This record gives sequence, structure tokens and C-alpha cells, in this order.
Amino acid sequence: MNEGTQIVEFFGIPFNVGNIVSGLVSAVIVFVVLFWLSRKIQMKPVGRQNVLEWVVDFTNGIIKNALPDEEGKQFGLLAFTLFVFIFISNQLGLIIELTFNGVEYVKSPTSSPLTTLTLAFMILVLSHYLGVKKFGFKGYFKNTFLSPMPALLPISIFEQFTNFITLALRLYGNIYAGEVLLKLIYNMANSKGVLTYIPAIPLEIIWQGFSVFIGSIQAYVFVTLTMVYISQKVEKE
Amino acid sequence: MNTTFLLSATEQGVAWGDFIFYIVTFLILLALVKKFAWTPITDMMEKRATKISNDIDSAEQARQKAEELVEKRDLALKNSRSEASQIIDRAKKNGEQQKANIVSSAHEEVQTMKANAKKDIQQERQEALDSVKNDVAELSIEIASKIIRKELTADDQKALVDSYIEGLGKQNETR
Repeated sequence: MNEGTQIVEFFGIPFNVGNIVSGLVSAVIVFVVLFWLSRKIQMKPVGRQNVLEWVVDFTNGIIKNALPDEEGKQFGLLAFTLFVFIFISNQLGLIIELTFNGVEYVKSPTSSPLTTLTLAFMILVLSHYLGVKKFGFKGYFKNTFLSPMPALLPISIFEQFTNFITLALRLYGNIYAGEVLLKLIYNMANSKGVLTYIPAIPLEIIWQGFSVFIGSIQAYVFVTLTMVYISQKVEKE
Repeated sequence: MNTTFLLSATEQGVAWGDFIFYIVTFLILLALVKKFAWTPITDMMEKRATKISNDIDSAEQARQKAEELVEKRDLALKNSRSEASQIIDRAKKNGEQQKANIVSSAHEEVQTMKANAKKDIQQERQEALDSVKNDVAELSIEIASKIIRKELTADDQKALVDSYIEGLGKQNETR
């Protein structure tokens, strides 16, 4: 947590190198894993195909809870990719943590608030766009902001921001806290030599296992809330 | 610590390039996943779903067909049973008729045989009566001649006896 960040300016745009490298790494891992799982697809599923189909069924189930079938179908790819990407991102920091010259290069991309805010922003924009596309701007405004009663307009507007912020910060907070605690345990292990090194090992193992659990839950929650927010915009209340 | 809090705000300001980077990365990832994993797997799942529903339909059809066949078989069995009983009935009737025919023909035969026998008996009796009649006639003639011969001479008698004997032999021959 004390590692610094390296900012590189590219065409005058500042990039956080650690963030970009870890995001790229997890995207590549996601693609390679999915590519590997989707080879030799058969009518009768065997081995890897079963894993992939299970994940697809899982994300389709999340959509089904929020949206009716025919409307939910078009979000299958989004939910699937989002889930796998966030899941891998959450686990990445637990497996590899690459620090070089005091600069962190590989970690969980989701332990940076900018990453989760980006994803949440994407979802926010997408959901509002879908609302406008479906009802027209007038219908969308009525459905989203004036829907239970016009008097709640300020609350409705405020709700959009809280939705966006909580969606992003929930994921960020969980993963960031997990990584902070992992590093704290690591620091504790190094503080007094063998005396602290040995008890730190089971602690680290337990916390890593718990973080895997948290990462999975957060990926699920993020996708679920995404679908709920989208359904709020495209469904008449 | 406070430098990395929220939005990665550093002395150089927010690294907002990450924002663009993640959007672009995610969109590219979306496209790649769609092309290489999502489309093939969902297509296959769809295909499987239709295949399963088709299989269910065809199984239903096969079941219906089997039911039809069973019905047909039952009907054929019933038909064959009634046919068999018809055949037996006909055979019985035929037997009955044949029996009646045989009996009646036997009756007739017996009747004719009886009639024939009666006729034969009648004829025989007639013949016997006739021969008895002849014998009686001859005997009466003989008696008559014997009575007559007593008044004849010895010679004449002798001649008569001779002639009679002769006549007897002739009569025997003719018989």
C-alpha cells in the first residue's frame, strides 16, 4: 500500500502504468481462458465446454432475475464478459503482485477506483442510452425521474449518482481492502523474522481464500446490479 | 497513502488516461469474446435446445405410432378370433349337414333294400305257390289217372306206366 505509482504522459494524456499493465494482463488472461475453453465445441458437451456453458448459464440466470427473457437476451454477452473480466481482475491481485523499484506493475485492476468507476460509468451511460432508445427522450425522462411521483424528482436525480458511485466503490472497496490486508500480513511476516514469518503463513492462506470468495461475490454483485440498473431504465415501472 | 485515495489523485492530477484505456480495452475484449467464445457457444446451446425439443417431438410421434400399431394389432386379433369362430361354425354346420345327408341316404338305401327284399320274397312266394299249384295239378292228374288205370288192361297199364315214367323223366329234364 505504500507502493508508488508511475504516471506516463502520452499525447498529453496521463496514464497510470501499473493500472494499465494489470488491466491488460487480466484482459489477456480472460481472452486466452475463454478462447481455450471454447475450442472443439460439440453438440454433446465434454470437458472444457461444460465449464464455459456453466458460466454462460450462470450469467444468463443473473439476467433472467432482472429482465424478461426476450429483452434480456441482448445483454447476455455484456453480462458474461463483465462477470468473467471482473472475476479474473479480482483474483489477479491475489495470485500475482509485481512490484518493481517501488512501483506496482501487476495487481488487481479492480483495486484501483478508477477502474471500477470506468466500468460503472460505462454501465450508467449504457443504461440511460437504452432507456432513451426504448421510450424516446420524453418517455425516458418520465420513466426514470418522474415515475412513482413527480415530487420525487430531486431524489431520483440524486439516486442516479449514488447508484453510479456505490456500484463503483463497492467493488473497489472490497478488493482494495483485501489487498491491503494481504500486504499488512506480508509486512507483519517480515517484521520480526522467523518468529512472525511462520504464523503469518496460515493467516495469509486464510485471507487469500476469503478474498477469492469476496472476489467471486463482488463479480456476481456487480453484474446483478448492472442488470438491475439497466432494467430500471428499460422497464416501465 | 492519501495520494492514492480515490480517483488515484496524485500530485500530477488524475491519471484519466486509464479511463479511456479501460473503456477501449473492455470494448475490444467484448468484441473478441463475442467472436471467439460467445457466438459459438450460444449457437451450440441454441442448436442443442432445438434438437432436444425436436427429439421430444419425435419421441412423442413414435409413441403415438406405437399406440396406433397396438390398436391395429388388437383389432386384427379380434377379427381373426371372430373369423376362427366363424370357420368353426361353418365346419360344424357342414358336418351336421353331411351327417344328415348320410343318415338320410342310409335310410333311403335301407328302404330300397327292404322294398327289394319284400319284392324278392313276394316273387319267391309266388313261384313257390305256382310250383305247388303245378304239383297239385300233376298230383291230381296222377290220382285221376291211377283211378282210371284200374279199369285198364295189364298191357294198357304197362304202356301207361311206361309212358308216365317217360313223362317224369322228361318233366325232370325240363325243370
